[in-house]
Amino acid sequence: MSNEASRQSRTAKLASDLRQFWSEPWFAILTMILAGAILLFIVTPVFAVLYKSFGMDASGFTLDYYREFFSRTYYFDSMMNSLGAAVISTIIVVILSVSISLYVTRSTSFVSRFYRGAALLPLVAPPFIFSLSLIILFGRNGIVTSVINSTFDVEFSIYGFWGVVIAQVLGYFPIGYMLVESTMRNMNPSLEHASSDLGASQWKTIRKVTLPLSQTGITKAGLLVFVMALADFSNPLIIGGGEPFLASEAYLLVVGQQNLEQAAVLGVFLIVPSLIIFIFQTYILDDSGLETISGESGASNAPLSRRVKTVVMTINTLFVSFIILMFVMVVLGAFVKIIGINNTFTLEHFQNRNGWDSLYTSVFVSFVAAILAATIGMLQGYLFARKPIPGKKALEFLTLFGLAVPGTVMGIGYVLIFNGSPFFLTGTVLLIVLNMTFRKIGVGLEASISKMHQIDTSMEEASSDLGSGPYRTFGKVVVPLLSPAFIAGFIYTFMTAMVSISSVIFLIAPGTNLAAVYILNLAEQARVGMASAMSFVLIVIVLSCMGLLKYIEKKTGVSI
Amino acid sequence: MKKLITTTLIISAMLVLAACGDSGSDGEPLQVYTHNDSEEMDAMVQDIEENTGVELDVLRLSSGEGWSRIQAEAPDVGADMQIGMLHGFGIKAEEEGHLLPYESDEWEDVPDKFQQKDGEWYGTSFWYNLIAVNEDIMKEKGLDVPQTWEDLLDPQYEGEIVLPDPGTSGTAFLFVSTIMQIMGEEEGWEYFEQLDENVGQYTKSGSAPAQMVAQGEYAVGLTWDQAVYDYIDEGYPITDVIPSEGVGYSLDVAWIFENTDQPEKAKKVMDYLGTQDFMELSAEYRSMVTKPGITDDSGLEESFIDYDAQWDADNRDRIMKEWQDKFSN
Repeated sequence: MSNEASRQSRTAKLASDLRQFWSEPWFAILTMILAGAILLFIVTPVFAVLYKSFGMDASGFTLDYYREFFSRTYYFDSMMNSLGAAVISTIIVVILSVSISLYVTRSTSFVSRFYRGAALLPLVAPPFIFSLSLIILFGRNGIVTSVINSTFDVEFSIYGFWGVVIAQVLGYFPIGYMLVESTMRNMNPSLEHASSDLGASQWKTIRKVTLPLSQTGITKAGLLVFVMALADFSNPLIIGGGEPFLASEAYLLVVGQQNLEQAAVLGVFLIVPSLIIFIFQTYILDDSGLETISGESGASNAPLSRRVKTVVMTINTLFVSFIILMFVMVVLGAFVKIIGINNTFTLEHFQNRNGWDSLYTSVFVSFVAAILAATIGMLQGYLFARKPIPGKKALEFLTLFGLAVPGTVMGIGYVLIFNGSPFFLTGTVLLIVLNMTFRKIGVGLEASISKMHQIDTSMEEASSDLGSGPYRTFGKVVVPLLSPAFIAGFIYTFMTAMVSISSVIFLIAPGTNLAAVYILNLAEQARVGMASAMSFVLIVIVLSCMGLLKYIEKKTGVSI
Repeated sequence: MKKLITTTLIISAMLVLAACGDSGSDGEPLQVYTHNDSEEMDAMVQDIEENTGVELDVLRLSSGEGWSRIQAEAPDVGADMQIGMLHGFGIKAEEEGHLLPYESDEWEDVPDKFQQKDGEWYGTSFWYNLIAVNEDIMKEKGLDVPQTWEDLLDPQYEGEIVLPDPGTSGTAFLFVSTIMQIMGEEEGWEYFEQLDENVGQYTKSGSAPAQMVAQGEYAVGLTWDQAVYDYIDEGYPITDVIPSEGVGYSLDVAWIFENTDQPEKAKKVMDYLGTQDFMELSAEYRSMVTKPGITDDSGLEESFIDYDAQWDADNRDRIMKEWQDKFSN
């Protein structure tokens, strides 16, 4: 009986939700378009990969490709390599992030700001750039290698598993660092003060207070780095020296053999860990508990004691110098004939029309994708936070999931779906834009939802009480309030799109080649000079765009 | 703030229009696949555009990569034309009916063996396999310069040889095919199994080994002629070795795809590829071109084996499948 009643009330609620949903028809239609787009551009590609991994539509359901996966040590090795490299990279990134964050959050000196800037620098470069620098320095005939070999009489080579790990640490460090740093910054310093007032040494305070308090942030950072490192495909290609890794192997299976089924199986093994981590992070990892103790206290963190500072600063300085060294190698590599072998100054690496064309395409495509992603994210955030939309939890989940899907899987999925009717988009710029957009709208969405939750509905109510319709209210009240979320979505999408590669590499065509893909292609031809030159220009472009935004921020007073 | 958003939206709209306007001047640029190296192709594209007025959009893919892409896309291939590809793939593409026949007058003085009967494909230049050797590294490590294909199996080269992957690289497939044609398949497979022991790394592109050997990353690399000569010209400590058993060679061919929607432009470009001007430019990047009287290839022919490109076309799928089974990749 009570069951019956609850069911009735549920139905009634759904009916009233639906009525309300339709009371603003434009928003309703928009929501449906959005939902359709999310399904088409995020969900279907993933399912297409899953479907293909069972050999469907070629030979009917078969487990042959899975059997192949397990029967060959080669594929199994690729999984172990990918997982192993990701775990080790993650651990190193977390340790380094904590070390640099400890210092940066407790000092406002120039050095601290410089370290912070340098630590974030890898964000603006294609993720595989460090592989190139590493080869220049530590390759079999690298500048440092020759010294090591002659001094220690050993045969040292960077190619292989450890090269990939080092490249991943450098490339994915900023992602982990940003999360750890923001957690540590938001921590209430009075707890640390209490600990030290009670006589604990700073080591003990860090171990017993600071780290436990930042545990959630650190875990999140670690998981994110793990997912990205697992999906990394460009570093294994350049510096892997033939060691198999899941993502690069999947890519080679597609481009070298057109064996989409086997590639799909590898894709499934990429996506399962990512999905588990994503669900764990979204539903199980609880980050609300510790927020209560944060907040304004006026006090600032105690500066590091001498002993702690010595240790932390040694690690930091070494790491930051290493990052800078990597970038210096790229810049030098761009301006000399062949770095380390023939160091004559030259500008010839910049005379590369196809390279400049691809840079132009990259800027254009990334810009459009960033505008789209930020707009959609903002709109979606507003609708999801304020409107009674049936199934919005599921849609939100799917949108955020788009961020976690390994690029290689998404790329293969796009190839599978858009290479025929009803949506024949292969080879078009549009497909690249859509791919970049829908993989990233999650960031704008998350920012918008959290912003919407901070804003009381009273402003919107006031606007509507004064006679504005819902659309006018949205345009005049909500959009200005959400502009920081828009900008966050824009910046993130633009930066990542400029250097993204794993997904779009499957989608390029003559005339729509992208800078990052082009640079990877040069690296494959071992054209270090040209690759460095194009990377250098790419980095300069991304940095100038960021500079421009900072300038706008200052001029308009909007915080970015 | 709202203004800022509006401004960005307007700018982006303008960008879109600008991009459309770009290509709108004379229809779409001609879309081209190539396996040529970026540097060489860049110069060629500029030259073609200046002399024909046809704008080109180029995508570089290693031969194997390009071929599997063509097969996946056919019959709706994503390009109008291919400039630079393996001879064997030209034969295959013709057999599978992907090519648009066009009899060009400009190609008349090029010998018949360098073009398909009805003008399905045309050969612009030749290239062949070479072994690149870094002299400094050889001295330093006390290695002998290999003189034959057989020499490469010597254990002294363990980990010192860099080879392209025949799955993606045409250079590597030419090598595989050469060994098979010299030794026969059974012995050929034995050869590669032994060679695998000495290989330090397989690369995706056939030119990469030349640069890696030039840089001293590896002592010995299997690559192709011009890739090595470029570095020799620039003064790197490398030499080329033509193994005494002879090397395989391949014609570099160009063709028009059957499904092109701009056949007139493609034909114009094809005409230009056969001219003295283009062949001369091509000769700057290649040791031999097909138009008579431009490059001096006397003496070279003795080093060539009696290479059968048709064998290539007929057996590639099978050989590559076995290769992947044996070497897992």
